Amino acid sequence: MRTLDWVVMGGTILFIILYGIYKSRGAKDIRSYLLSDNNLKWWTIGLSIMATQASAITFLSTPGQAFNDGMRFVQFYFGVPVAMVLISMIAIPIYRKLNVFTAYEYLEQRFDLKTRTLGTILFLIGRSLAAGITIVAPAIILEVLLGWEIWITCFGIGILVMVYTVSGGSKAVAQTQQQQMAIILIGMIIAGVVMVLKLPSELSFGEALTIAGANNKLNVISLPSSVGNFFQDKYNLLSGLIAGSFLALSYFGTDQSQVQRYLGGKSVTEIRIGLLFNGIFKVPMQFGILFIGAMMFVFYQFEDAPMLFNESARAEILASDLKEDYLQAEENYTSLNQEGKLLWEEWSRSGNEGSMEKAIIRNDSAAQIKKQILANVAEKAPSINTKDQDRIFLTFVLDHLPIGLVGLLMAVIFSAAMSSTAAELNALASTTSIDIYKRMVKQDASDEHYLKMSKRFTLMWGIFAILFAITAGQYENLIEYVNILGSLFYGTILGLFVVAFFMKKINGSAVFIGALISETLVLAIFFLPKLFPDVLGILDIGYLWLNLIGCILVMLFSWIFQRVS
Amino acid sequence: MTEQNSNNEEAVDQDKELQKVFPFFKSWRALYTFVLAELVVLIILFYLFSNYFS
Repeated sequence: MRTLDWVVMGGTILFIILYGIYKSRGAKDIRSYLLSDNNLKWWTIGLSIMATQASAITFLSTPGQAFNDGMRFVQFYFGVPVAMVLISMIAIPIYRKLNVFTAYEYLEQRFDLKTRTLGTILFLIGRSLAAGITIVAPAIILEVLLGWEIWITCFGIGILVMVYTVSGGSKAVAQTQQQQMAIILIGMIIAGVVMVLKLPSELSFGEALTIAGANNKLNVISLPSSVGNFFQDKYNLLSGLIAGSFLALSYFGTDQSQVQRYLGGKSVTEIRIGLLFNGIFKVPMQFGILFIGAMMFVFYQFEDAPMLFNESARAEILASDLKEDYLQAEENYTSLNQEGKLLWEEWSRSGNEGSMEKAIIRNDSAAQIKKQILANVAEKAPSINTKDQDRIFLTFVLDHLPIGLVGLLMAVIFSAAMSSTAAELNALASTTSIDIYKRMVKQDASDEHYLKMSKRFTLMWGIFAILFAITAGQYENLIEYVNILGSLFYGTILGLFVVAFFMKKINGSAVFIGALISETLVLAIFFLPKLFPDVLGILDIGYLWLNLIGCILVMLFSWIFQRVS
Repeated sequence: MTEQNSNNEEAVDQDKELQKVFPFFKSWRALYTFVLAELVVLIILFYLFSNYFS
């Protein structure tokens, strides 16, 4: 990073924070602090929802996903429009009518205190750990690529977020998220344009698409190849539409970090339009980000690309007994890439189909070499994490973007990390203040008292998130488990709400027992095949499906217990 | 009595609020249909895009 990059990055982040503090000054009561005075317009709600979902890893990892696996990841988002319509139709009128601060307040109004508390606890466990991961995930990558200490980056992101989230609450979160989302979109559009401009001048855009397509990088829609793959294949049209809809319903309809973004809306109309704005633009946006990754693949057909973008993993392999094998594989990989580059150039000049076929064969062979050596590493040195998907895009940014734009893209990464973290801290503080402190600890205090406590809870969760982030930074495998954690709880939480909305005869005790049993079964379905792969490996399903299973189990057991009692 | 009137007024306000629609659409149902239709169109376009370049 050069001086200009630091100025662009620092200036952008500082402007956003000061803007947020200025626009949110003078929060005088709890409604103002937690619900932005119910004054948010649809575009603020829409951008805020988008910014909350898009963490730094979204922008670091998604182009890398397309680079490695093609664009089929976009199917993961097909459930978002479906969920947005259902939430607008069903949940919004109810939340609004009851004038709730948190989604879990509704559970007590519909069922009882213990069901509300169960929903609250499941949310607090999942989201508090996720807040730490939101901070540490980009910090790990920045440490490897830029040499920044993990704890310094974690403190940096955490403290900056706390400055405006503690002082301005929900309004500061919403105002900063508008700016952050604007920076993110501008940065990613510029990165995409530069990526295309950096392709060889003799290569047309159509030819670039042909190269990406021929190498299976434009495989946006894929169907499960067999019945067995239906549940195990993570990203295909059906899992995206069915399981993706359940995940999106859980996340946008019952996770307070999202619910709080729209509860502060000025009216039902503003909230609905904000949600539907996401329903319309989320899929095209993700397509755009993945398309950058596909073009990056084409770019590296004409540039020297490392076999493994994860430099720290490469260093670990070279320090192990696998050094000779790895270097041999790397040499073969580089040689195939060089041949491929010449063949693509030949194809671009002459249109010779034979050159294209040979180039594709070389790409497949190179990919096979990489796959084999990494499988060898995984078998003989399982402690080395060779995943490089998160590093590919940032490597491109640092190596190939001009001065100034590197700073802008770094601002994009920090903006994304800060926007998600701020929403999470704000939601954790709201839930702790409203569902636990105000409901169970001190019911008759003044508004000023709850405002003061909400600020303290925001501070408390901020400190927890930073400390957890620094701890998790030492154990990379922990991060993968926490990322899956959400799906372990979301199905049960969604089940509670679906029963509340649609199964009017079910009472609190039945749904409470049903939810406890369902959660136990979901945990068993997830962990048992991993603990006993020889016997139960066939039951190992993609974690997206756990949302649907959890939800259906809650409905089923609630109905059974209601009938029995 | 006053409280009851006030509750009735609130309910009427909420009903009115629920009826308000985004300017370009006649009803919420039309807007929801538009969002879901856009998804269907996108899936079809993505399918054609995938097939064309595969």
